[in-house]
Amino acid sequence: MSENAESPTETQKEEQQPPLDDSTANEEKKKIDVLLKAVGDTPIMKTKKWAVDRGRTVQSLAQFISRFLKLDDGEQLFIYVNQSFAPSPDQEVGVLFDCFSSDGKLVLHYCKSQAWG
Amino acid sequence: MRRSSISAVGSFFNSQSSSEMAGAGKQSSFLFWLQGSKEGYLRKTALRSVPTDWITTQKHEGSVLECHCSLKSQGEDKLVASVDPDFLRGDIEDEDDGICTVCEGNSLVLQYEYHILYSCSYSAPVLYFRAFTLGGKSLTLEEVWSSVHPHFRLHLQNCPLNAITQQEHPLLGQPFFFLHPCRTEEFMRPMLQAAQEQCRPVNYVLSWLSVVGPVLGLDVPLKYSTQLLPEASPSTMEPN
Repeated sequence: MSENAESPTETQKEEQQPPLDDSTANEEKKKIDVLLKAVGDTPIMKTKKWAVDRGRTVQSLAQFISRFLKLDDGEQLFIYVNQSFAPSPDQEVGVLFDCFSSDGKLVLHYCKSQAWG
Repeated sequence: MRRSSISAVGSFFNSQSSSEMAGAGKQSSFLFWLQGSKEGYLRKTALRSVPTDWITTQKHEGSVLECHCSLKSQGEDKLVASVDPDFLRGDIEDEDDGICTVCEGNSLVLQYEYHILYSCSYSAPVLYFRAFTLGGKSLTLEEVWSSVHPHFRLHLQNCPLNAITQQEHPLLGQPFFFLHPCRTEEFMRPMLQAAQEQCRPVNYVLSWLSVVGPVLGLDVPLKYSTQLLPEASPSTMEPN
């Protein structure tokens, strides 16, 4: 995962990506489809569907969303999987995809909050 | 937290939510349930590896975060034997004077003890913790701040109240640090609302811990979230 703000690329308009299997694996990193949904009064991202490198961490994704939404420093972004738990910031999205994806995409809910203290 | 208010703790932690994660002394359990009379709390000790570049190195003597050894943790409940510092320094390139030499993997191993108690005033669980070096010396508040996961550190430090403060443990009477619970309801709300809308049970302690644990290096294994909960669960998951 690079330190330069390498943004996740937008997916094409076309619906179904060909399923990735061993025979198509190449030097290029596999990407997974992530669908971002806003919770509460958190701003909604215009682009909701993103193709994200498997190795990208939750922290990196959260930082990307925070920058994209131009959140203040004091605002913490929370990300939820299955709307039932928060993945650790060091967790790789590829692993989350393997465990919790449905219909070929990982749905993540995000919520901004001043949630500490 | 008055003693009389702790009676709610028993009912809270006896709910299905926390019993799934705790076992009475079972080694394989993630958390251990300790109980005395009606009071109780969940406890876990763990070795935690903290990267040295998170830590603002203290140049003066007496900082417990001078690294003297770096060993991969063998298991949660074992103490790692300390290494003779002089022997270790000989193998490693010198850094600046007075600062610990960089250990293999550039990380420090600290021993953490986490307690989950229940606050009746906030109607929420609270994460208490304390941390030591392997030599047994307690971390100061400043050093604890340095070991907060960088993802959260900035936000915690921007809080009007101190998010991490030192407090007497309500049951043990010993100094602990804790993560202030007053906004627990805010980050729990999305999960609880979704569960209600979808008519499915939620494991409150698990969901709560998944948010606060990583702040202090306590990551909840994914397997707890991949397990399907029973269909018709009679117990309520929300704290009373």
